[in-house]
Amino acid sequence: MGKRGMNRRDFLKLTGAGSLVAAAGGLGGALASPRWVWGATPSVKGPVKIGYQAILSGTLAGYGEFHKMGAVMAIEEINAKGGIAGVKVEMEFRDSTTKPDEAIKNARYFVDSWGADFLAGIDSSGQALALAPVMPQLDRVLMVTHGATEKLTEEFVFKKGVRQIFRNCMPTYNDGHGAAFLAKDFPAVKWATVSPKYEYGFTCWKMFQDSLKGLKPSAEFVAESFAPFGTTDFRSHINTIMDAKPDGLYSTEWAGELITFVKQGKEAGLFDKVKYVMFPVGAAMDVLEGLGKDMPDNIWVSARYFFQYPNSKENNDWVARFRKRWNHYPAYVSETGYSAIYAFKAAVEKAGSKDTKDVIAALEGMEQNCPAGKRVFRKEDHQAMYDVPWGQTKSDPNYPFKVMKEMKVIPAKEYFNRPPFEGPGTTPPFK
Amino acid sequence: MQSYVHVILAGLSSGMFIWLVASGLTLIFGVLGVLNFAHGSFYMLGAYCSFTVLKYLGAGYWAGLLLGPLAVCAAGFVVERFFLRHVYRIALPYQLLLTFAFVLIFDNLVKIVWGGGALSPPSLSFLGGSVPILGRNFPVYNLFIIAVGPAVALLLWALLEKTWYGRIIRAASSDREMAASLGVRVPALFTGVFVFGTWLGALGGGLSVPYVGLLTPGMGETIIIEAFIVAVIGGLGSLKGAFVGALVIGVLSAFGTRFFPAFDMALTFILMGGVLLWRPQGLFGATR
Amino acid sequence: MKAQTRNAVAAAVVLLALCAVPFLSGKFAIYLTMRIMLLGIFAVGYNLLLGQTGLLSFGHGAFYAAGAYGLGLFGVHVSTHPLLGVAAGVAAAVLLALLVGTLCVRHTEIYFAMLTLACGMMAFSFFWNAREITGGDDGLIGIVRAPVSLFGGIRMPIGKDEQFYFFVLFFFALSVWVAHRIRHSPFGLALAGIRENARRSEFAGVPVRRYRLAVFVLSGAFAGLAGSLEALLESNARPFMAHWTHSAEPILVSLLGGLSSLAGPLVGSAIFVAMREIIQRFTENWMLGFGVVLLVIIMGFRGGVVGTLSALFRKATAPGEG
Repeated sequence: MGKRGMNRRDFLKLTGAGSLVAAAGGLGGALASPRWVWGATPSVKGPVKIGYQAILSGTLAGYGEFHKMGAVMAIEEINAKGGIAGVKVEMEFRDSTTKPDEAIKNARYFVDSWGADFLAGIDSSGQALALAPVMPQLDRVLMVTHGATEKLTEEFVFKKGVRQIFRNCMPTYNDGHGAAFLAKDFPAVKWATVSPKYEYGFTCWKMFQDSLKGLKPSAEFVAESFAPFGTTDFRSHINTIMDAKPDGLYSTEWAGELITFVKQGKEAGLFDKVKYVMFPVGAAMDVLEGLGKDMPDNIWVSARYFFQYPNSKENNDWVARFRKRWNHYPAYVSETGYSAIYAFKAAVEKAGSKDTKDVIAALEGMEQNCPAGKRVFRKEDHQAMYDVPWGQTKSDPNYPFKVMKEMKVIPAKEYFNRPPFEGPGTTPPFK
Repeated sequence: MQSYVHVILAGLSSGMFIWLVASGLTLIFGVLGVLNFAHGSFYMLGAYCSFTVLKYLGAGYWAGLLLGPLAVCAAGFVVERFFLRHVYRIALPYQLLLTFAFVLIFDNLVKIVWGGGALSPPSLSFLGGSVPILGRNFPVYNLFIIAVGPAVALLLWALLEKTWYGRIIRAASSDREMAASLGVRVPALFTGVFVFGTWLGALGGGLSVPYVGLLTPGMGETIIIEAFIVAVIGGLGSLKGAFVGALVIGVLSAFGTRFFPAFDMALTFILMGGVLLWRPQGLFGATR
Repeated sequence: MKAQTRNAVAAAVVLLALCAVPFLSGKFAIYLTMRIMLLGIFAVGYNLLLGQTGLLSFGHGAFYAAGAYGLGLFGVHVSTHPLLGVAAGVAAAVLLALLVGTLCVRHTEIYFAMLTLACGMMAFSFFWNAREITGGDDGLIGIVRAPVSLFGGIRMPIGKDEQFYFFVLFFFALSVWVAHRIRHSPFGLALAGIRENARRSEFAGVPVRRYRLAVFVLSGAFAGLAGSLEALLESNARPFMAHWTHSAEPILVSLLGGLSSLAGPLVGSAIFVAMREIIQRFTENWMLGFGVVLLVIIMGFRGGVVGTLSALFRKATAPGEG
């Protein structure tokens, strides 16, 4: 079975020759410095194996590539500086597709056949939820770097005790609640939505409505239109919304569909008629770059990570290194993928072991300095809390795409749901 | 009123667009008796090739529309001449499987050559922009599509009914052996028709570049099912049927999405089921 | 050796090998083998419709999903007993197949295929949209594998994969045996007659439409069984089980292995699952690899793998036999 994984090792060796990265990689080490030096006797048996899966085929194939960029860069840096606790890191990357049974099969392959110590990735909420019941059997830490459903952490980690799952990516809380916190200050009263016709779309719209009603009782919700996955023609949905004459538009459409929606909305004059538009995942790099100057101005956008926030030395240096390595601005899943690998590093070195229960204990409550800022892994539900910016789109001569003007940050603790996630006082707004 | 007019316009443009894609599929089935599952892949390749001409060769959109689909004809030629030709006599499931294998291959090849990320073309200048119709903007390009649909239909009708070449195609499709015995080189003819059908599909892809505004490696998959449904409703093999079917589906879907959103995922399938239960051979299909 | 004895011996060997898998292989291989068996159940039942009767259905995923959701919902509302759950799943699938079949068997060939496609996608849309009942696109999650309790107080746990494996194996063996009996029964022969020439069969007194409906429902039952077993294996039921791309899998697999034999769909299932796994270990471009392999098989092995191999075998042994 020596042939297996050879491609992966060769690939890593080749890319590891990016010693340009290694030189500046000192910064990477500083971003997740262990509390004490593991020193002379590494107690961890190498190599540390990470099984990563993301979407590599079909309409969302770009996302898998973005994940890979972040994860590979992290591994190159770490290995160039001696690895995790003195041993090398290896990663195998698989196409998760969009199907839950593929995700489960890949996870089983990683753990039962390849011998993974850690699992990471997962783009789709549905896949994350389907994988959750299997994790106790597999008993490895899974760091979800994209799939955003709050059900994963609230129900499976907190309520059902699947302690193996962690998520370092911003969940639906920002898309739903965070947007409402911003919207409460807009003069817009009549809100409409064009959202994806699956759980993610329904959940975020409901969260937005519930929070906004609480924050601004005069808000009305006048129209909603849900577009199935794979919609390429949003015109009927746009017509529905325009017929209702809202003054606010909310949409959790994302990736390629958001690009198409914006283009077609522009053609119909949607953004001239509706002044307050919110795209909670509109500041994703693929959307901003895809639309270029076709992205209208003054749209309120956010993302699970935006390269201009925080405006700190660490983040700006990281973005520069990332651009040098890949000739791309980092997508948010590149940042979460990168940070996930470093989270494993920090946890293993803190615990002095790769054992799942030790790593879980190390990760709970852990603070990690990432390009996205400081992440704290909440003990109760293993969800990382960190801040993300909202801003209105504007042109900038330095970039071939629109960026945010005046980034507004609402602290995560103001809008994250709180344990025990049921009953009064668990959903925002909090007293 | 404005609402209804815009729904109809949206339905007309999406209907004519689907007709353009389905025309090649219908032609191939009507003449060769082959259900080409890979038609969606030719559509996708047409879009990607047009985009390449537009963006990387900097030649502009209309050059892309001209050259892109021509490039895809090479792929169509290879598929028919070296693979499909050998399975004509075999049962339908094997043909589907063969074309399905090509779907996998082409989808992956596109990802390898152009990358997995979605490609977004710049907005159109000529025929770009919108015009106000009853107070709401409607894209000029969609009006163009509404015009191109019947134009292509007319072209195909003229080709098949009024030209000598068309007569030979019709003869060969209704009776292969007879045509061959009269001196028609049937295999070459079939290759020609397949390539022409491929070109039509790729043209649809090229036209999709400003219409949809996004290119992804999976773009062939959704469109092929819609094209199939339209072709079946119209009666497999009937170009007139595909045209009418596309119109019907386009407009009804637009109304459905607008006024009965609960059903929109299944609407086209329900419509197809309804038509087939009423007329099992489709609207204009041949009764056996 | 007579063909019948040869086949019986081969079947016994395969069964023995399957029993040995949990003791000799790693966890992932056990899992893959279970997936092969599930696909095999789906495909062998499906092939009664396709290979034996000549009807191409694109909607069987709906019955698979009915089996999965049937078991899941039964587990939530009535009882988590696995055998009862499987029975509930199969019953749900049979009912749905009866409904769809009655609607569709009036037509043949491509129109039958498109009608079943329509019905399957309507079922998909239902499972996706009826969020209150079916959990929407997330599906039913957290389906439990309770122990199997039988008369006499026997309780067999199936929570662990190594245990559940035998549960699946039992149903797999049962399905293959039932399919074999059907194929060789008078009913099965009549089906073959319908495939060859429906009109002549009708003249000969075979109630063609009723037989088509019967085999449609039977193949739906197999699909439902496979679906309920998958629900137990993966702990979930998902709308995509009803999608036409899932319905295409038994077609693909039967064509791969060969339509005309019992073993064809089973061999095809094994090849499909194993090949996909192997290709993925070498490259992320598994679609390309898979497509090329399919191409080679279609162009080279016209009767599917089993068909070609048995033709070769027959040629090799022909001189010796009378």
